[in-house]
Amino acid sequence: MVSSNASALGVIFANTYDNLVPELVAERTMASIPFGGRYRMIDFVLSNMANSGIDNVSVIVRKNYHSLMDHLGAGREWDLTRKRGGLNIVPPFAERSVKMYSGRVDALASILSWISAQKEKYVILSDACIAMNFDFNKLIEEHVKSGADVSMVYNRSEIPEGARNDNYTVQIKDGRVTELLSNDYRPGVQNLAMNIYIMERESLIQLIRDASVRGLVYFERDILARNLNLLNVHAYEYTGYAARISDMKSYFDENMRLLEGDNVDALFDPANPIYTKIRDDNPSRYLTGSKVKNSLLADGCVIEGTVENSVLFRGCQVKKGAVVKNCVLMQDTVVEAGSSVEYVVTDKNVHITADKKLSGTESFPVFVAKNHTV
Amino acid sequence: MAKEMIAMILAGGQGSRLYALTQKLAKPAVPFGGKYRIIDFPLSNCVNSDIDTVGILTQYQPLVLNEYVGNGQPWDLDRLHGGVHVLPPYQQASGSDWYKGTANAIYQNISFIDRYDPKYVIILSGDQICKQDYSDFLRFHKEKGAEFSVAVMEVPWSEASRFGLMVTDENDRINAFQEKPKEPKSNLASMGIYIFNWDVLKSYLIADEADPESENDFGKNVIPALLRDGRRMYAYRFAGYWKDVGTISSLWQANMEVLDPSHSGINLFDESWKIYSRNSGNPCQKIGADADIENSMVTEGCKVNGTVKDSILFPGVVVEKGATVEAAVVMGGTVIKAGATVKHCIVAENVTVEEGATVGAMPEGGCDIANPGDVATVGSGVRIGKGATVGPKAMVSNDVKDGEEQW
Repeated sequence: MVSSNASALGVIFANTYDNLVPELVAERTMASIPFGGRYRMIDFVLSNMANSGIDNVSVIVRKNYHSLMDHLGAGREWDLTRKRGGLNIVPPFAERSVKMYSGRVDALASILSWISAQKEKYVILSDACIAMNFDFNKLIEEHVKSGADVSMVYNRSEIPEGARNDNYTVQIKDGRVTELLSNDYRPGVQNLAMNIYIMERESLIQLIRDASVRGLVYFERDILARNLNLLNVHAYEYTGYAARISDMKSYFDENMRLLEGDNVDALFDPANPIYTKIRDDNPSRYLTGSKVKNSLLADGCVIEGTVENSVLFRGCQVKKGAVVKNCVLMQDTVVEAGSSVEYVVTDKNVHITADKKLSGTESFPVFVAKNHTV
Repeated sequence: MAKEMIAMILAGGQGSRLYALTQKLAKPAVPFGGKYRIIDFPLSNCVNSDIDTVGILTQYQPLVLNEYVGNGQPWDLDRLHGGVHVLPPYQQASGSDWYKGTANAIYQNISFIDRYDPKYVIILSGDQICKQDYSDFLRFHKEKGAEFSVAVMEVPWSEASRFGLMVTDENDRINAFQEKPKEPKSNLASMGIYIFNWDVLKSYLIADEADPESENDFGKNVIPALLRDGRRMYAYRFAGYWKDVGTISSLWQANMEVLDPSHSGINLFDESWKIYSRNSGNPCQKIGADADIENSMVTEGCKVNGTVKDSILFPGVVVEKGATVEAAVVMGGTVIKAGATVKHCIVAENVTVEEGATVGAMPEGGCDIANPGDVATVGSGVRIGKGATVGPKAMVSNDVKDGEEQW
């Protein structure tokens, strides 16, 4: 392969942090949660990898992955339909490990033979719970320059409410991680791990073999945190826009945050586009009487009522006299005439019948599950 | 593996009456309806009619069209056997030629068609807006035992003399053809969509090519020759929406009609007959706090913070605060800055309308979609300077300086 960036392999964990958003993952994975009007969470990391020339990517799934398989298909939308490399979806292999993966080590152990057979020099591990526009080339470059064994990505951020029992923060000295804390709950801005790691493929294989033999489960807690003296772990700071999903509230807030200022441009940099599955919707129609302010809309919507401060996914309909304020309406939600919804998150195919009033609050948005009729 | 029917789309037209819009691209590549290009219609009709092998005959400014069609994936036309192929004229051992006429374009691709050994070939036009089920047309062709069928529209008798007309008997068999006659004997206008039995078409194309007097045109030469020989020719009546968007005003009109599907008859919002297009890859449309949008279509990548009324915005169009867009067709990537006014016009791709500029004007007595009157046109990539004015009759393909006027 020609460019140096082509020498990294991508491994994405689709189900990490499912437990933080039980409502949204009832029938899907963290990676397939719809976000930002027309995307799913995995689109971000997958597009970032594709845009960085990483074209050999494995997506490790644990459960509820039908929606994700449907979304990814053969990887064409991300230009990952390749003979050499491309997209590879890895479901649990029942014969080898009877139990489901419980941590990264298990999951990686199950694909170790595949990882061993690849040619790339480096491996990048990532979750799919953060929407951002990340340049993996920069990470690879800095990692190589640092001479470290492992580089891990963090950003300066407060610990999200929902992730109090599920996070890692790092102490850094001269770029090297000196301490890796689990489930940090200190107030204020911390060096919050983004669960993106890069290391040489050969050393990952060695680390996983060792850990697997000893029955260890968690990559961060059991491998990195215990060996910070032996392993040189470099801290790589990401300073760009990041939307982290750590509970229902943050899901709502992060959708809303896209309405502010130039945040859309920050996340959807035209030079590094985010790709997604195409649905061939029509352009959205704003009929006579429609009033739409400060909102994001995907294609295929038909608006006859009022929409304010909201994110509408593909194919939503807001009928005459209906009012939608501060809402996230996922794909094909219909709000019938005369209804009013405020601080509501609807999952796919929700039907709000005529003349209903449904409202949550900013701190506690109401959630309506997939295919439900209100 | 033989195919029952393959399609050949005539897409070589320059579209010279679209002037500023077709300086750099072929007419079939002209954007339409918010996120489509004209060629999406015949291509989508083909796949929706179960035709999986399509040849597109191009020769004028094919770059945009070639890139757009690509491997045909957006239309599901990336097939193992068949799929879509762009066919420009090419050099052969015997020499090379531009496509001299519609019939010659097919003649030069006889070997392409023969590769699929089809029983029937449907000839389509790459510059019409029409949703049509070609499988129903083929069923008609087979039922009649026809060797040639042509899709026809009934037109008002008063307008019949503007068209090529098919004179038929009570069984729809064609017994005469009149090209724009002074005294029409029929009101069945040819839509330029034909189904031929391939063996018949092939023999006539070879004979036509051998005739030095021929203009190598279907309407002028091939169809009259079939009639002369008493071939079994039938007229298939089509009653849906059909529009040749050959002029600025008809293109504007057809776009406006998309906004009103219940009256105009063109319904792009029909899930059972989707029109497919290549996706622009833009994020959601962002509607600002000062936006006011009514009776309009807006698509991905648009940023609207001004007033948009009765208009169609293509991907990535920006309408800044205080700008007004009315009865306008604004193509992809165009930026309309604060305080600018864009009315009753077509603005092509990647145009910048600077602050306070004016493009077009509503006709006196209001906007009438049936009789568009003057439609101002701005070609792609043009900059309309600050405070400049582009009059309602103007056709602009070069930059207009700050404060200047063009009428």
